[in-house]
Parts: sequence; structure tokens; C-alpha cells
Amino acid sequence: MIRLPSWVQHTFNSYLVCEFTTVKNGKPVTLPLLPFYQPDTGKLVVTSSILFSKKIEHMKKNPKVSMLFSNPEGTKSGKHVILVQGTASTDDMDLDHGWEKYLPLWRKKEPYIDAYLAEREKFGWFWKRIAVQVGPKKITAWKDGDTSKPPEVFGA
Amino acid sequence: MPNIDYQRLANFRYAVITTIGDDGYPFSVTTNYHLTPDKKILLDKPLLPSKLDGRKVNVLFNHITGVPTGGYNERRYMLLWGTTHEDHGKLRLEPEKLSEWDEKILPFPEYCAKVAPQGAKYLENIQPSVEA
Repeated sequence: MIRLPSWVQHTFNSYLVCEFTTVKNGKPVTLPLLPFYQPDTGKLVVTSSILFSKKIEHMKKNPKVSMLFSNPEGTKSGKHVILVQGTASTDDMDLDHGWEKYLPLWRKKEPYIDAYLAEREKFGWFWKRIAVQVGPKKITAWKDGDTSKPPEVFGA
Repeated sequence: MPNIDYQRLANFRYAVITTIGDDGYPFSVTTNYHLTPDKKILLDKPLLPSKLDGRKVNVLFNHITGVPTGGYNERRYMLLWGTTHEDHGKLRLEPEKLSEWDEKILPFPEYCAKVAPQGAKYLENIQPSVEA
């Protein structure tokens, strides 16, 4: 587990969206996703509906991924830019409930999520979700977000 | 050459360039961009990765971001694949392929309906075949 300063962990916990990249046939595919951070394991988590599951297929073939935290909009966090490169493991054993263990983290970022969950039947397949854990291998961090300056590097 | 709506492409705050490193991991970094009148996409050269001339990349322009009162507004993104070339101190993106979503054009419920075949395919792939 990579030891990280508090400003990096705070960024993981507060930024609403990250730019998540999978690799398909050697090419990157980058999409915005809602990330969660587990400080006890140092792992990051995203979930994906089966509706938008091409990225999961990519990860099953090639687990090397990255997560860029670049946008503090909607938070009171500092304007940091942090890149996590790591290995993804997917869990689709229980599409209906397996991902629900991350709901407490989800609620912290999106408190209104329960209103959508209450109408779960309306978007049944949206709520069939795959959980993805990312174990960081290397973290490259630009404090204050100035990517024209050398970053701090953690791990690797 | 993809059919890019340059008017909409101009309405993002910054770009995220991603390439695949020698170690096989994706590497993403933010940068500023601007569009020229003759529809060139010019990106500021980031410090890292250092060699982007002639590299295959994707560039994400994302407006799926949080708002202080909670939730999102104006969810939209444009993802371009292409090759970057040095051009007078900038990186010029030669776009080859586009993927995008704009909830004003395709509202989320309709988007979910459109991608239902992908959901069905995923379920088929993970469930044992049934002979009944």
C-alpha cells in the first residue's frame, strides 16, 4: 500500500469525477467516472452499469488502467491534479447487490443517490453494476494543479 | 476524419491527453487547448509525457463535473482519438475518431435505451447457457 499525504487522499475523497482510462487493443479509452477511495486498503473503486460495460470488457483483457483527478468543480478541495496508474480487478458475481457495499462512499459524494435508488425499477439495467477495484502502482501528483511543473511521485 | 461539431468542442474548459506509456499503463494529463479558424485543434505541450510528437493519443473534453449544490449540470463530453504533431510550439491533434455524449442531444433515459444491447451482451457473456 502506497503511503500518501493527506492532500492526495482528500482529493480522492472529494473530487466527484475522475477521467478513467482503459486500454483496448493498445489504444486508450478515457471516460468520466465517479471514483471512491478506500483508505484502509489504499484502493480506488468505480462501479459501472452493464449498459456501459465496454470498459469492463477492456479491463478483463488488459487490467492496466489509470485514473486522473483533474477537476475540483463542485468541491471545496484545492485544485490539484493527480494521476493514479494501477491494476483493475472486476467483480460481477452479484450485479444486483455486490456493488451496494460502496453505497456509503457513494452517498458521501452524491447524497441524492437514494432518491434514484428508490425508483430503481425504472432503470433496472442501470442498477445492474460491476464493481472495479484499482490497486495503485504509481501515483503522480501535481499539487496546485500546475502540470507545467515536475510532479511528486509516490510508489513504483 | 470524424464529423466534429467545432462549436460544441470550443465549450470546454480544458483537455485531458492520454497515451499509453512504455510500461503499458495509460498516462493522462490536463492541458489547455484552442481551436483555430481553420479548425485545427491545438494543445499546449505538457511537461509529461515528454515525447508526444507523432504519438497516438486520445483527448477527452469533459463537462461531466460537479456543482456546489450537488449533482451535475450540462453533462457532455467529446472523446477524440488521433495523432499529435509538433506545430509551432504546440501539439496539433489530427483527429481520426470521435465518441461523444451530450444530454441536451441525447437525454440520459434515451441514452440508456440506446446502449441496452451492450447490457444484454454483457449478461449473455457472464451467464451460463440455458437449454430450457
